[in-house]
Amino acid sequence: MIRTGARRAIYVTMVMAHKDLLDFWKAKMLVVSFTLFPIVMMIIFGYMFPSITSTNPYAGKFPSQYGRLPIGIVDEDGSRISEGIADQFAQLSSTTGLFSVRSFASLEVAKDKMTEGKLKGVLVIPQGFSGALSSNRQATLILIADDTNPQLASSIIGQVSSLIRIISEGVAASRISDIAAGADPEALLEPISLEREPFVKGSATTFQFLAPGFMALTVTMGTLSGLAASISREREQGTLDGIMSSPVPRYAVIASKLLAQTARGMLQSFIILAISMLFFGVRVYGNPLLMVLTMFLAVLSFSGIGIIITSIAGEQETAMTSLMLITMPMTFLSNVVFPIEQLPWFLQAIGKSLPLYYSADALRKIIVLNAQMHHIAPDLIVLVLYSLATLSAAIPIFVRSVSR
Amino acid sequence: MGLAIEAFGLTKRFGSFTAVDHVDLSVKEGEIFGLLGPNGAGKSTLVRMLTTLMRPTEGTAKVGGYDIVNQADEVRKIIGLVAEKLILYPRLNAVENLMFFGRLYGMGGEELRRKVDELIEMVRLERFKHFPIGGYSSGMRQRLNVVRALLHDPKILFLDEPTAMLDPQSIRFIRDLIKDLRKGGRTIILTTHIMDEAEELSDRVAIIDHGRILVVDTPEGLKARFGVSNLLEVFLELTGRDLRDRAENRVPIRAIGRV
Ligand SMILES: Nc1ncnc2c1ncn2[C@@H]1O[C@H](COP(=O)(O)OP(=O)(O)OP(=O)(O)O)[C@@H](O)[C@H]1O
Ligand SMILES: [Mg+2]
Repeated sequence: MIRTGARRAIYVTMVMAHKDLLDFWKAKMLVVSFTLFPIVMMIIFGYMFPSITSTNPYAGKFPSQYGRLPIGIVDEDGSRISEGIADQFAQLSSTTGLFSVRSFASLEVAKDKMTEGKLKGVLVIPQGFSGALSSNRQATLILIADDTNPQLASSIIGQVSSLIRIISEGVAASRISDIAAGADPEALLEPISLEREPFVKGSATTFQFLAPGFMALTVTMGTLSGLAASISREREQGTLDGIMSSPVPRYAVIASKLLAQTARGMLQSFIILAISMLFFGVRVYGNPLLMVLTMFLAVLSFSGIGIIITSIAGEQETAMTSLMLITMPMTFLSNVVFPIEQLPWFLQAIGKSLPLYYSADALRKIIVLNAQMHHIAPDLIVLVLYSLATLSAAIPIFVRSVSR
Repeated sequence: MGLAIEAFGLTKRFGSFTAVDHVDLSVKEGEIFGLLGPNGAGKSTLVRMLTTLMRPTEGTAKVGGYDIVNQADEVRKIIGLVAEKLILYPRLNAVENLMFFGRLYGMGGEELRRKVDELIEMVRLERFKHFPIGGYSSGMRQRLNVVRALLHDPKILFLDEPTAMLDPQSIRFIRDLIKDLRKGGRTIILTTHIMDEAEELSDRVAIIDHGRILVVDTPEGLKARFGVSNLLEVFLELTGRDLRDRAENRVPIRAIGRV
């Protein structure tokens, strides 16, 4: 009796979820927009946070948030040596992807271009540069950065210095081997060196951080707003009365909505993953099943809150607007777009009390670090507890709201 | 003959406003029972309670012998509902709509398929059965909406203003359909404020106002009692000639509700 009851509940849940998906599928423009949304979002974010490709030998060494900045070079020295240095600088700029370098005949012309905003900095090789270098004195280069944007300028200064250091070390090394044949110039120049070993396999791009976060965000936000819209729409148009006056368990009604909306949310999430993999070099190292499980828990952990808000709101616009009050801060506080460490302590506390923080964290560990069940168990336990607590409150509230 | 519906002191309050006020009611098996009342009288609220969509604030009722609160699922198996709003999904076609609701009643396979075809034929929508019902005319939609409630052959059928806003042809069609539906001993509760409709279809009518039942009788009995030739006169005699939704009328309504 109980078994047949449970089987019937599962069956009608499937029937209702199928109806919701069929209803969705019939609205062609909705389906198209729904599919395009994650694609457009990922492409915009992809180019907002450019990442260095892993074939580059300098990958990860020179993280740039700006992409190739236009830099001018002016060779006032005009010697073979200065020409060589200018070439080397241009070469390094292009392999690291930091700057696009153009040479200018005079500083005046270059400064004009800076004023026009077409250059962000000028590197000057002053007269007497090669003379100093060949007589073993310290030679000096001059950098003029566009400090109308101080943040950009300081980043340019830092990056140009590191490139010049590489060139300078090359010069030093050749001198050392001239003076002391057989000695290791590296060891003399840099007796102690620090090498970075990657924790993350492959290259750690911003996208390895962003993509899992966006997946968790999309699946929860999509499901949440879908749930609210779908329940309130059925209530407003009156079809909910048809369901509620038929012998289906009330919790099956909620379960079916959850199932249908989660399926939609997951579709968007996997589009995000596919775009990230195809265009932005994201690789999945973990178990896809664990990913699906985590996303399901991500949805479940938030659905209770969504159902409570929808039930209390009673009508679509109120429900959607109230939900945004939660989803908007959630987007920024849950370590999805911005690292949570950037936030003041109280915002961090709020962020860490939202389930999205845990689902994004778990998903990131699975995708990037190939985390196994035991690595992410704490995250998943938080999600399960959240789901149980909120859903057990939500179901009676929903039932009461539809029989008011 | 037994009773299809019995209500004892059935009451529904929204905050301090009483929409249905201690209603006692018995509807016999196999009869068409008309619920008449002006706008806001509480007809729909009464129907919503009897169809388990709303919990009564006070009182209780039995539908088909089952308690509407404690045995709601048993009630749901034997009732059919045509509500004020359409219970149909606009993007789905007629077949998809009916198949969906049929499955909710545990029907399936060939049995459901045949039933769906039969119902669609009954309301002459065969030619349109694969079109989304959002594109139907109101008459077509309402015809489908009525047969949607018949999928599981309910013993007791609730029709809440089934002919509202239809053209004369559609009204005629639906009324004839209702007469047909009583065959086989089905009980029908019909709410309306169209007097001809109540008179034409109902075995007995209840006139309800301010949430209270004022009289229950056969249309003939009522006319005889008030010495008038049509039900409309009885109705206006009992419920007054003033407009319902005028602000000055609301105050006494609430006051009566609190007594
Ligand atoms: N959910 C609700 N919350 C608050 N008041 C309600 C609610 N539902 C109905 N009412 C009020 O209860 C009263 C009775 O409404 P009901 O819909 O039952 O009337 P009705 O007889 O069906 O009227 P109509 O002929 O217009 O359909 C109305 O005054 C209505 O405003
Ligand atoms: Mg009504």
